[in-house]
Amino acid sequence: MALKWFQQPSERACVVGLDGVPYSMVKRFAADGVMPRLGEIIAGGAFRETTVSLPEISSVSWSTFMTGKNPGEHGIFGFTDLHPGTYTQSFPSFRDLKCDTIWDRLGEQKMRSVVINQPATYPARPIHGALVSGFVAVHLDKSVFPARYLRQLRDINYEIDLDAELVRDNPPALFRALHELLRVRERLMDVLWTEEKWNLMEVVITGTDRLHHFLFDAYEDANHPNHGDFLDYYRAVDALVGRIHDRFAADASDPRNFFVLSDHGFCKTRHEVNVNALLAQNGHLKMTGDDPRRMENISEAATAFGLDPSRIYLHKRGRYPRGGVDESRADALTDEISQAFLALRHDGEAVIRRVFRGRDVYSGPASASGPDLILLSMPGFDLKGRLGAASVVADRRLQGMHTWDDAFVVTKRTDLVPGGRDLTLLDVPAMLMKCLGLESAHA
Amino acid sequence: MKGFTLWFTGLPSSGKSTLARRVEEILLERGLNVEVLDGDEVRENLSKGLGFSKEDRDTNIRRIGFVAKLLARNGAVAITAAISPYRDVRDEMRRAIGRFVEVYVACPIDVLKERDVKGLYKKALAGEIKHFTGVDDPYEPPLKPEVLIESDKESVDQSVVRIIATLEALGYIPRVPGTEYSPAEEEAIKSRLKDLGYI
Repeated sequence: MALKWFQQPSERACVVGLDGVPYSMVKRFAADGVMPRLGEIIAGGAFRETTVSLPEISSVSWSTFMTGKNPGEHGIFGFTDLHPGTYTQSFPSFRDLKCDTIWDRLGEQKMRSVVINQPATYPARPIHGALVSGFVAVHLDKSVFPARYLRQLRDINYEIDLDAELVRDNPPALFRALHELLRVRERLMDVLWTEEKWNLMEVVITGTDRLHHFLFDAYEDANHPNHGDFLDYYRAVDALVGRIHDRFAADASDPRNFFVLSDHGFCKTRHEVNVNALLAQNGHLKMTGDDPRRMENISEAATAFGLDPSRIYLHKRGRYPRGGVDESRADALTDEISQAFLALRHDGEAVIRRVFRGRDVYSGPASASGPDLILLSMPGFDLKGRLGAASVVADRRLQGMHTWDDAFVVTKRTDLVPGGRDLTLLDVPAMLMKCLGLESAHA
Repeated sequence: MKGFTLWFTGLPSSGKSTLARRVEEILLERGLNVEVLDGDEVRENLSKGLGFSKEDRDTNIRRIGFVAKLLARNGAVAITAAISPYRDVRDEMRRAIGRFVEVYVACPIDVLKERDVKGLYKKALAGEIKHFTGVDDPYEPPLKPEVLIESDKESVDQSVVRIIATLEALGYIPRVPGTEYSPAEEEAIKSRLKDLGYI
């Protein structure tokens, strides 16, 4: 057996991620006693609203968090992409991340990280420490590093996620599954807390996001039959945050190095908006063949197309096999498309709040593979990139949608929180690295 | 499984031990028997009392090589992480051991002086340590290492991936099943994304 080497942790930090939990919800629940423990932590620290990276989805946000870099550097722009030079859909994985992570950087300083259930970390790869992948992880045996923890995961009946098909229309089953997921996350954390000599402990609760997608109405409507269940779930989340906080406070040399954050906000969905349907109406998207739902059927006459949820790509010559848009037309086209979306109304109400140019929000070597435009909708209008939809505005299928703002961070390291300006998600890894004694390039 | 020796060589503080430990961790996870013979640790026991003359350095390396050979002969992976500055004795170990993979961890001396995690370069440059490789003792880089790591240009993870890939390509360790998504896995992912309205 090899001699084992461990760095005794001198600096420690702990991060609890609450996927998709809005700042406004935490504020309300902390004030009205649903989340008393988080309320205490907030009272003793800083509680700030953040915006997140664009588009505002978990794979992009968590990649931003784990690298401390914008998508132009980490290269993850969505849950889906196209294989370069084709119209074939791809599903970017952890291995597609184009830069190192904060865990790699800590590892280079011989500092160990424990990462539990962070989305966009599948398949698991070696880090200096331990990692159990989160969404979209499929197979448990490809979700664990080091593999020696696989048996313990099985022993505690660890589940990566709930089975959405089984629970989305069955609230009692949904809440049972959500509470069970909380239980197994905590049990896994118990194992790794003591078995790993860690400097950074990170656990992400993703049940919050699932609950919001399926049952956000139960949050806003006090008369909803599941309103009480919704609050009870948040009481359970709060109790878990409190236990992690107390345990960390007992173990750490600086108990202030405790962070709670979300990767995006959430709001109630009122309508879905099919981005490609508007592009088609305005003549930008043209399809060939029998099936207008297939990316492979984008015509050479198309000048732009959308990918989920809100990304628009110019159909550029050289970038796509049938692309015909020359660089000289790019600015005029993006202006035209932006104006069309900003002018979109539903029942007299504006649908699009802002349109960002990729070059304005992304910087770094991977920017060129990102979208040319990113749409930001008004709350309630959930943007979709599906092809072949009959109408631009459609009925909602799920109850909740992500928001770019109204995310949050809570920390007791008030000294590290930049003052005098709004915070973004990118500020959080920078704070984290600083509190572990590693200077980080600021966002 | 047949054993082999993974021989790291390079200037002080170039990253040999860090890489050796990371590779060790991965090989252990793959169920292999692994032993790391770290230069600093060996000098505390197996080679205690030896100095830093060329003769003593060669003796130190031959002792490490001898133990590595025994380990490899018994099916283990022997990972050595010592400066091993002289080419002739490294090549001698290669011939003696047989299944031998040399990893040269290269790093410009100016970067190492800057990095100087153990503070040794500073002492050597101040004359407080004599016979310090790279300062007042020579280092002869390998002419044909199986793996060349430029530790100032790549991350530890990137280096580890390349080392493991080389061991797999040589057939010294079994390949793990592919990490690309299988068609079934892609379907599962698609279904999850649809369930949450992401596609």
